[in-house]
Amino acid sequence: MKIQDTIRRAGRSLRQAKARTLLTSLAIGVGAFTITLAFAAGAGGRAYAEDIVSSNTNVREIYVQPKQDAQNDPSKPKEYSEDPTISFGGGFTAKLMKQSDIDKIAKIDGVESTTPQYTVTIKYVTRSGQKKYTANVESFNASVKQEYAAGNSNNLTKDQVIIPDSFREALGFASANDAIGQTIQIVADKGGMAMPESQSFDYKIAGVVKPSALAVSASSGILLHKDAALELYNYTQQGTPLFGNYYGVLVTAKENVDVKDLKERINSQGSYDAQTAEDLMSFIFQFINVLQGILLGFGALAVLTSIFGIINTQYISVLERTQQIGLMKALGMRRRDVGRLFRYEAAWVGFLGGVIGSGLAIGAGFIGNPLISDALNLGKTHLLIFDPLTVTAVILGLMLVSVGAGMLPARKAAKLDPIEALRTE
Amino acid sequence: MIEVRGVTKTYGKKQNTFTALDNVSFTIPDGASVAILGKSGSGKSTLMHAMSGLDRPEVGEVIIDGKNILKMKQKEVDAFRSTKMSFIFQSFFVQANESCFDNVSLPLEIADVPFGKRREMIEKTLAAVELLDKKKSRARDLSGGQKQRLAVARAIVNNPRVLFADEPTGNLDSATGEVVEDLLFGYNKSTGSTLVIVTHDPELADKCDIRIHIKDGKIESITEPHKKTDAPRPAVRKIQ
Repeated sequence: MKIQDTIRRAGRSLRQAKARTLLTSLAIGVGAFTITLAFAAGAGGRAYAEDIVSSNTNVREIYVQPKQDAQNDPSKPKEYSEDPTISFGGGFTAKLMKQSDIDKIAKIDGVESTTPQYTVTIKYVTRSGQKKYTANVESFNASVKQEYAAGNSNNLTKDQVIIPDSFREALGFASANDAIGQTIQIVADKGGMAMPESQSFDYKIAGVVKPSALAVSASSGILLHKDAALELYNYTQQGTPLFGNYYGVLVTAKENVDVKDLKERINSQGSYDAQTAEDLMSFIFQFINVLQGILLGFGALAVLTSIFGIINTQYISVLERTQQIGLMKALGMRRRDVGRLFRYEAAWVGFLGGVIGSGLAIGAGFIGNPLISDALNLGKTHLLIFDPLTVTAVILGLMLVSVGAGMLPARKAAKLDPIEALRTE
Repeated sequence: MIEVRGVTKTYGKKQNTFTALDNVSFTIPDGASVAILGKSGSGKSTLMHAMSGLDRPEVGEVIIDGKNILKMKQKEVDAFRSTKMSFIFQSFFVQANESCFDNVSLPLEIADVPFGKRREMIEKTLAAVELLDKKKSRARDLSGGQKQRLAVARAIVNNPRVLFADEPTGNLDSATGEVVEDLLFGYNKSTGSTLVIVTHDPELADKCDIRIHIKDGKIESITEPHKKTDAPRPAVRKIQ
């Protein structure tokens, strides 16, 4: 018997028991719905996370720290080392990057630039007639996408500053446009002094950054030109023992250089621990994958339940159609073809369930996406992304599962003795 | 030619054995119409099953076209049945939910007849049993006589060389039964195929060339009522 004839006959048998077919496929449809949604949420979540990563970090950047000693047991005395370290108390220490390390890394093939990482510790930020506020000061990084309420970062100079919208409000500007061109003061302590000595630095506001749904932290700090930040750092750190040593260094790869390869090259140059932007953000992906896994688990459970439904339905179908099977075998239909007929019926059920389930899931995504984006303030970002390939794979997978479930009833049908079957009246 | 040689079929095990066929032998020439007569339980249906390869007796040979179908592999027997034989049953066994067209299409699908050829074959056969106008009707909407005519169409659509009919008129009144009988004998005569009818109706048996009487699994007698006395050779003989 030809395959297409078998498929046609299988489909026709199912149409003759519409309610039963529909109910059985709905069971598998619940699984399809959950699995499709799980994949959509996973894909959407990963795309969203990638957006976050690319808006907060530059994918061409590698963060390099010195490799910390494996033997870092605080209960044992530690041998002294000339390398700069900072200690956190309780015996915990962290090694620092020396300028010589940074110079060495800068020479590695594929490195475009190196930026030492430091924190600028300021006393407060203020403006005449306003309160004083503590703030994080970071050096401006053009590769981090920012959305501006007013002004911009083009041609940022040493005496300019970019502030988040929250500081704009705190510092008493009525609107973002009012703040542009105004002056604020940053006051810092001079380092290495026996007696505290402070200085105030003036900066003009070049831009006000909007709070962004995608940003993790980029918009929470005050951004200064790289040189201005260094100047502040030097002012606060010069004369302290750790001056010139850094927590780490940000390496920017040249364009068209594979970041992962460069990471390996840096690690092979010495005792360094290099991490790409992707490594740093991998926790987000891990979290998304765990969530997706949990959803998939529920879907798999639903599919498992529906397997028993299919087996049951198909067994009943074989019993009901004993005569028909007997006749087909009497007319010379082969065992293999009889088994195939019932397996294809099961495949049809799986197909139907898969289409119904994933169709409903896509419908739910169509309705749900704008609602979710609204509720979470994501703008145009959609959290459910349906990949046609994944949906097809889900449907095909469920068809396979159904065929597996239909195996036992199909075997029973194939083994029927035609004489016995035709005696059934 | 169908040769049945020493076929014995027993059911059950050890003490409870029941011999349904006991050393049955006979020969049927091509193109003959044969009635297998006997009371219920005499073994006539078992004999038909053995002759068609549906049942496989342990002892004996059934030779059709020179091949012993009892020694064939299941696959070959199936192929043999789908191309050379066909069946008609007392209770029709038409698929009630399917259209007449699809019912008749089944043996062609099983025999792997190319899709393009089927329509013509099916329509020709439906016309022969006068059901062409019911082509698209579901089989459940047909009367008893129409259902058996549909079964005849399904049986003859693939031009079998041997047609087995198990009480073909048993569920029909005499008028509709006669129509079905005419169709069966018409096919038998016009194509030169062999017709084997299992029945306990003497009137139907009278229309056949050869009558094989079965009793308790043994051949009681073989008669040829219409045989001309000057026939060159006996069409059939009882082999002991």
